[in-house]
Amino acid sequence: MDNLGFLFAANAFVWGGIIYYVYTIKQRNRALEKDLELLKETLSKEG
Amino acid sequence: MSSDEIEENEEEGNILVWLTGLAFLAAMIAIFIYVPTEKTEGVVQRIMYFHIPCAWLSFFAFFVVFICSILFLWKKDREWDIYSQASAEIGVIFCSLVLITGPIWARPIWGAWWVWDARLTSTLILWLIYVSYLMLRAQSDAGSMRARYAAVLGIVGFLDIPLIHFSVLWWRAFHPQPKVITSEGIGKGMDPTMLVTLGISLCAFTLLYFLFMGVRVRQEKLKDEIDRLKREKIYSS
Repeated sequence: MDNLGFLFAANAFVWGGIIYYVYTIKQRNRALEKDLELLKETLSKEG
Repeated sequence: MSSDEIEENEEEGNILVWLTGLAFLAAMIAIFIYVPTEKTEGVVQRIMYFHIPCAWLSFFAFFVVFICSILFLWKKDREWDIYSQASAEIGVIFCSLVLITGPIWARPIWGAWWVWDARLTSTLILWLIYVSYLMLRAQSDAGSMRARYAAVLGIVGFLDIPLIHFSVLWWRAFHPQPKVITSEGIGKGMDPTMLVTLGISLCAFTLLYFLFMGVRVRQEKLKDEIDRLKREKIYSS
C-alpha cells in the first residue's frame, strides 16, 4: 500500500491531461464563436 | 453544412459523450474495484490500465495521421489534412501522458524515474517528432505547402512506431516484454480479469479519441469556413 501515492499521481495526471485538452477545445470554440459573431455583424452592417 | 446536418452531428456527438462517460465509469470500477491487486508489483501495477490505453490511443492517433497524410498527398484534399492535424494533436496529448505515467510507474518498480532504454527513448523520439509536426503547423503560414511538409513529417514520424513495438524484443531492455500481443496469442500472458479490465479501459480511451476527433474536425472545418468568408469579404470590398 506504500505506493498508493504513485497510483494517485498517475491517475491525476491522466485526468488532468484530459481535462486540460477539453479546456483548450472549449477555448477554441469560444474564439470561433467570437469570430463568427464579428463576421455576422460586419456582413449585416453592409446589408 | 445544412442545419439538418448540424443537428444530426450534435445528436451523434451527444450519444458518443454518454457512451464515453459510461465506458470510463466502467473502466474506473474495473481498475479500482474489480481487478485484484497484482502480487509482485502491488497496487502501483494498476497504472498499467492507464498507461497502455494512453500508448494505444497515441499510436492509433499517429496511425490515422500516417494514413490521412498519405491520402492528402495523393488526393490534395484539405479534408485529409484536417483529420491529420486533429489526430496528431490528440496523439501528442496522450503520448505525453504515456511519458508521464511511465516514469511514475517505473520509480517504485525499477528505482529510477527514467532509463535510456530502447523503448523509452524511441517513445520520447516519437513524441518529439509529433511535437515538431504541431510546431511546424503552428509556425508556418497556412497553405498547401505547410500541409505538404506536415504530411511528409506525419508519414516519416510513424515509422518510429514499429521500432517502439519491437525494441523490447530486439534489444535488452528495462521495459517489460509485450503481455497483450505475444507470440502465443492475444492476451495469453495475462490473467483474464486483468485482460477484461484492460479491454474496458482500451474501449473507453478509444471512444474518447473518436469524441475528440469529431469535435476537433468540426472546429477546423468551421474555422476554414470563417476564413473563406473573411477572404471573400476582403476581395469584394
